[in-house]
Amino acid sequence: MTQSRHDWPSLVASRSDAPAPPRASAARIGVGGPVGSGKTALIEALIPALHRRGVDLAVVTNDLVTKEDAERLRRSGLIAPERVLAVEAGACPHTVIREDPTLNMAAGDDLEAAFPGLELVIFESGGDNLASTFSLDLVDWWIFVIDVAGGDDIPRKKGPGVLKSDLLVVNKTDLAPHVGVDLPRMLAEADAVRGGRPVVATNARSGAGVEDVADAIAHAVLFRE
Amino acid sequence: MLHIESVVGDRADPALHRRLHHLEHRHAVDEIVIPRADMDRRRLRVTTPKGEDVAIALPRDQKLFDGAVLYIDDERAIVVRAEVERWLRLQPSSIAEGIELGYHAGNLHWRVRFEGESLLIALEGPAEAYYARLDNLFAGRRIRSTLLTGSAAA
Repeated sequence: MTQSRHDWPSLVASRSDAPAPPRASAARIGVGGPVGSGKTALIEALIPALHRRGVDLAVVTNDLVTKEDAERLRRSGLIAPERVLAVEAGACPHTVIREDPTLNMAAGDDLEAAFPGLELVIFESGGDNLASTFSLDLVDWWIFVIDVAGGDDIPRKKGPGVLKSDLLVVNKTDLAPHVGVDLPRMLAEADAVRGGRPVVATNARSGAGVEDVADAIAHAVLFRE
Repeated sequence: MLHIESVVGDRADPALHRRLHHLEHRHAVDEIVIPRADMDRRRLRVTTPKGEDVAIALPRDQKLFDGAVLYIDDERAIVVRAEVERWLRLQPSSIAEGIELGYHAGNLHWRVRFEGESLLIALEGPAEAYYARLDNLFAGRRIRSTLLTGSAAA
């Protein structure tokens, strides 16, 4: 990612000697989960759903040593390309969303400086394992995405991502009959291990369940009624 | 919905303390108990014991803390109370065991503190889950352990 800083319009515009009161920044949410579970596809489906709700948003993607996911989003036509920044983790993806999230925090700051009025920054983690979690210094709320093709035993394995995320998304529900997964049982087991935290079943490709995820974001961190 | 965009101050601050004391006599202080795991969030939505929907959105350089006054006027106040944190104190019986314990605690991403020759582990779930990991890693060897709550561990 670029480390160059943008101008700060709010500071440039201020002519008062009195210090400006501290201002809440844009909400920041995380989207994590195993490789291939559909994190980027979910974000591609969420962007129009959030735009319909009038949400001013930007995205930071994380990849290992490329900017593949950022390029995919920039080419998608769903969001202005300059509203997508890429962070290259260069190591295990969780290191830059949990142990030392400063690169991602700087990317979020850059986006907020470049787009005054920004309401939401979505941080997409690189594909990781079931132990992956987000630092609350980086995000206010986070989603963990698993998929039925990864196996219906994933909820039972009680990985920290499955247990601690604010919202668990079980994606690719359309594949359940093709991979021998009993979807209702998988969802029931996810409910059981999460002790009341929400679980949403989605098919990001068709859009099924995506509105529920957008509603959850709008309620939890954008404070829409 | 009440929107909070910064912390007013600390309830221990003398000026705030006096005002809160007056309001407390009128049962007009709404105390929100926030789970330890949520105290690091800059944004969260909570319902106070009196039933008010509160949307907290702090600047990135502010954090919630025990005793943070979120709202105060002549009629009422809203104050944060952090849920008491539980810790597991582990006492290795040798330097070798201490090194091994530190290695595993790091691998498991446990949040820890050091106290003399003890390692304190913040419990973010049932203590049994932590004992299960330790039993597995130490193959049945026992490490002396004690459960502590927040003030005792502070």
